[in-house]
Amino acid sequence: MNFDDKVPIYYQIENHIYHEIITGTLKPGEKLPSVRQLAVDVTANVNTVQRALSEMITAGIIESKRGRGNFVTMETAKIEQLKVQLVTAQLAQVYEQLHALNLSDTEILTSLQQYIQQRGQAK
Amino acid sequence: MTDSLSMQNVTYKRGMKTILHDVDLTLAPGKIVGLLGENGAGKTTLMRLITGSAKGKGTTMVNGAAAEADRKRYVSFSEQLRGFAGGTKLVKIVAFYETVYGDFEADRFAELADFLQIDTSLKLAALSKGMKEKLVIALTLARRTTLYLLDEPFSGIDSMSRKKIINSIIQWKPENATMVISDHYVSEIAPILDEIVVVKDQTIYTHRKADEVREEFNIGIEAYYESLYERGNDND
Repeated sequence: MNFDDKVPIYYQIENHIYHEIITGTLKPGEKLPSVRQLAVDVTANVNTVQRALSEMITAGIIESKRGRGNFVTMETAKIEQLKVQLVTAQLAQVYEQLHALNLSDTEILTSLQQYIQQRGQAK
Repeated sequence: MTDSLSMQNVTYKRGMKTILHDVDLTLAPGKIVGLLGENGAGKTTLMRLITGSAKGKGTTMVNGAAAEADRKRYVSFSEQLRGFAGGTKLVKIVAFYETVYGDFEADRFAELADFLQIDTSLKLAALSKGMKEKLVIALTLARRTTLYLLDEPFSGIDSMSRKKIINSIIQWKPENATMVISDHYVSEIAPILDEIVVVKDQTIYTHRKADEVREEFNIGIEAYYESLYERGNDND
């Protein structure tokens, strides 16, 4: 995994795993690799991976089962909620950046629509 | 739990010249720590003070032990194998390590050698720089101990070897062991560090958690490290 050195590593690992859950690479109820294996997979420190997992456990997306490991939650509602959260965060960024360019809400909507149409035609 | 390393008021002079002064450094178990500083800042000296091969004033304890013999037992230092003749076969070096260090695990070495693709039938002089560094890493990590000191393991080696070495560190560092990795080029190891220690102005200039630096300043470890030098040098 290529990390952005400016952003806390645990946060990037968290987002990486959330991404895998939302896209379905990791399924509800699926067991996660061991902490050390995850550390090797993403080339990070075991403690940093552990911190990322703790954050996800607190958020209720990962469940830690004593002696058995970590599992993706079976509650699909929670995963849906997570998806909404991540989408909102992305939208908020775009919205703020476009506002900073003095675009009104209507103008943002129009340019987004135009952009999507163009991208759709390009495919 | 006992600290892996505890140094208090350590000062080291060579002749009239102060190399390091008032070093206070405590490292908790289970961490990977980047020891950063310019060439000649005193990183290797600090490691030699920890192993006991350099003798300074002050207290140094490894895993709670202050006596030099005990410290040597709890520290695995990446020796550069200068004591071996070029014609020595690697199997002989491995056998030597096994005899000298009671905590050297032959099967651990075999796993590491396999992972790093080290051919132990070769002679020391036949190894490329990268391969020799891999051998040093395998020998250092094959001991199962408390504190590992890797002195510039990435200097002058290609990126593939570097990645392999970083992976072997993640895979083979015992959970509660602490590892200190010195480097003057930070970006390659930044993602695997728990903490950074900067040696500057002949002392420990700063000691921080890596993710705290990123959260607090919104900059990378390398940029943070460089910013310490931009503030102006207060060298004597």
